[in-house]
Amino acid sequence: MKYVILAFIGLVVAPLAGGLLAGIDRRITARLQSRQGPPIRQALYDVLKLFGKEGLALNKWQIICAWVYLIAAALACTLFFLQSDLLLIFFVQAVGAVFLVMGAMAGRSPYSQVGAQRELIQVLTYEPLLVLVFVCMYLAAGSFNISDILAVESPLLAQLPLAYIVLTYILTIKLRKSPFDFSTSHHGHQELVKGVLTEYSGPYLALTEVAHWYETVLLLGVCALFWTTNWLWMAVLLMATYFLELVIDNTMARMTWRWMLKYVWGIGLAMSVVNLIWLYAG
Amino acid sequence: MSNLLSILILLPVLSALACYIVRSGAVRRLVVTVTGGVLSVASVALLLRGSFEAWSPGTLFGLSWDLIITVLDFALLGVILYYGFKLKSLFIQIFTLAQIVLLSVFEFIIVEHVAVPAFRADNLSLIMVLIVSIIGSLICIFGLPYMNRHEKHLNLQKTKQPEFFFYLVIFLGAMNGLVLANNILWLYFFFEVTSLCSFRLIGHDGTKVAVANATRALWMNSFGGLGFVVGMMLAYNAVETLSIAALLTAGPQGALALTGVALICFAGFVKAAQVPFQSWLLGAMVAPTPVSALLHSSTMVKAGVYIVLRLAPAYQGTLLSDTIAICGAFTFVACAALAIGQSNGKKILAYSTISNLGLIVACAGLNTPLAITAAIMLIIFHAVSKSLLFLCVGTIEQEIGSRDIEDMRGLYERMPRTSFLAITGVLTMLLPPFGVLLGKWMAIEAAAGSIWVIIMLALGSALTVVYWARWGGGMMGSRKPGQPSESLPLLINLPLMLLCIGAVGLSAATPAIYANLIQPMLSSAALAVNTTTGSLGAFAVYGLYIALGLGLFVAFRAGRRAPVLRKVGPYMGGANLGEDGSFNGPMNQPVAFGAGNLYLSELFGEQKLTMWVNIAGAALLVLMIGGGL
Repeated sequence: MKYVILAFIGLVVAPLAGGLLAGIDRRITARLQSRQGPPIRQALYDVLKLFGKEGLALNKWQIICAWVYLIAAALACTLFFLQSDLLLIFFVQAVGAVFLVMGAMAGRSPYSQVGAQRELIQVLTYEPLLVLVFVCMYLAAGSFNISDILAVESPLLAQLPLAYIVLTYILTIKLRKSPFDFSTSHHGHQELVKGVLTEYSGPYLALTEVAHWYETVLLLGVCALFWTTNWLWMAVLLMATYFLELVIDNTMARMTWRWMLKYVWGIGLAMSVVNLIWLYAG
Repeated sequence: MSNLLSILILLPVLSALACYIVRSGAVRRLVVTVTGGVLSVASVALLLRGSFEAWSPGTLFGLSWDLIITVLDFALLGVILYYGFKLKSLFIQIFTLAQIVLLSVFEFIIVEHVAVPAFRADNLSLIMVLIVSIIGSLICIFGLPYMNRHEKHLNLQKTKQPEFFFYLVIFLGAMNGLVLANNILWLYFFFEVTSLCSFRLIGHDGTKVAVANATRALWMNSFGGLGFVVGMMLAYNAVETLSIAALLTAGPQGALALTGVALICFAGFVKAAQVPFQSWLLGAMVAPTPVSALLHSSTMVKAGVYIVLRLAPAYQGTLLSDTIAICGAFTFVACAALAIGQSNGKKILAYSTISNLGLIVACAGLNTPLAITAAIMLIIFHAVSKSLLFLCVGTIEQEIGSRDIEDMRGLYERMPRTSFLAITGVLTMLLPPFGVLLGKWMAIEAAAGSIWVIIMLALGSALTVVYWARWGGGMMGSRKPGQPSESLPLLINLPLMLLCIGAVGLSAATPAIYANLIQPMLSSAALAVNTTTGSLGAFAVYGLYIALGLGLFVAFRAGRRAPVLRKVGPYMGGANLGEDGSFNGPMNQPVAFGAGNLYLSELFGEQKLTMWVNIAGAALLVLMIGGGL
């Protein structure tokens, strides 16, 4: 029974929470920019509206890829709530990431092709760091299994402060926030239109949007694993992290992929290695 | 037993001779197909018989087989030396002469010729026999129609196919011998046969480039062979037996013996084209597709990793083991990075092969039961998926006249069947729940305890995603409703389909493969792997399979809606003009559009990276061999 409830949370509650979070995100961003902002449920309304639109696609591969993206993201999120293996979750979410890119490459559209290439570089940037963060968690908790990680006695954050900073970099890239938003170029009518998402439209765009909510919840869930001993502190950690993301998003300019690859790999690898050495020595 | 072994090793030799002597195409077709079928059945039969400890053939016309192998060994070195002089390659001459001298000293002075069982098979050998016999046979069969088209394309006056199939088929026998051998001298003999065969096959087309690349392959492998001879002498010096089984049970035996083992592993590294020796395998791409498929997926390079993996107990827990892991992991990440800078499809496959072999070597070096399991899984699944991809690229190349992945953009429109198979091949190399990824997952889990290896594995695995996703996505494309599919000859279609089914279906059998084949072998190491959690969790595999399978089913059903949707062109920020890929631009002029891949050549270009990779690779190799002393 416990597992049914957990699966339900992962499959149904998580995307709704992700949608609300997207609404809150827009609201706070608007306030940071001295605007009123839309209602909190706006993101949900938008997706519902998209589902009602006429389906348009360049070819069948695009439709298939949008669906696989959604299913993989949902599966990864559900596995997370079922307290499965971190590496397994990592690989399942990678299925989604790969199919999103492949769908964008399936058409002849230059905008979405360039977006896909840039998205691949984003994947290239965050993937190794995410693996290393998971390895740090493994060394600290003794297992890749979330159920074991939940059983630790003191918050992982104490042992893994640097790994957590690396995780915030990953979060920024994965949420496609500035300065790392060049695969979609956050707003339409910029150099890439909507980059990797340009050719997804109507219900298929809605699918990718829902998948993105799943991913957001999944990543915040990973952040939450760093403080599992106390609910209150976990909530504070998550809120502080997400607020930090918003501030970064609103204060940074979009950079180039060269800068991202060199900067994030440099900083991220250095921090992961230092944290790993602490763990090995400890 | 004796019958099965003779079929697996000697039948290919006889068939090869038949192909060579009877120069008729129909006979060749029959001989190769039947040999392939018989080999496959025999390999399965051998598997069902199970592992065996020792078996030696009797005598042939009153001569002992040991003597025959010795004579053949020197004859083989003589042939290689002859090619060394013919090609005026100083390297080949020196390395081969040194081998002849050292081998004579070893055979006639050092070794006391006591009877040692010639063959022995544990499950690793049996798995290798399966891979060689089944996948190798499929590739040979694929080669029949392929070579006809190939020669038509080259406008040859006189067919060179008898020689081609002679070496191709004999290769299978040599590989079977290699993986079953227990007497290290026999292993060495088969090792050298594969070197010679690959040399002849790479140079088959006889062009200037082909000859140059074949020469390079031969000198590098002769160098490896020299390492093998020296390593064999050092190891014999310590354990005083020619039996590999005895060498393995003895375990690590002091510095000198360990250096010997390191040198034999070095020979394996050369054969598996680990950096800095990757260039011979890249050069092998000039050969016709069946050759590159055979060299890469199931035979030559797998012989290299097999040797390293076979010797794993002999260096367990030593510094050598750690350095082997680091060398392998370095090859994994370096070649994955080099693959990103490539647009030549075959070169991407080549780099990906070397990179995956690096991962297997790294697993052998990690040397825990989980890591060894990962290595064997990777050997199996990589062989299936990679041979599928090679054969697909070969088929595509014959159709579109290019092996550049930029020219394969939207290939689905022209070759829906082949590109679908190729995309499936790409996915099985990259994503769960397929076997290659399960192997990678185990490898990462096993490497979590060693910091440098895990960092390189993390980087390499991300780099891998880039070049595969880019290629797979690029091949997807639009098709008009009702457009006819392409037609392929039966003998091309059949191997492709079988390999594709194998690549997808075998992954579902991972828990069974583990429980029946790998675990019994590891139990002697007294360290069983916990199968209920982690990467070997049977539920994880089956559950994943079902969940992702259902997902794919839903996705494809949704995809079937595509034809009823209103037809649209890509968004170009202006009115599209027809379907030829142009839009109405400024001044009402049509502007053509298109997009290419980002190859990040300023970071991952071949010219930029190769030198540094080679230097680092060579340094690591020296560290590996010297570290034993």
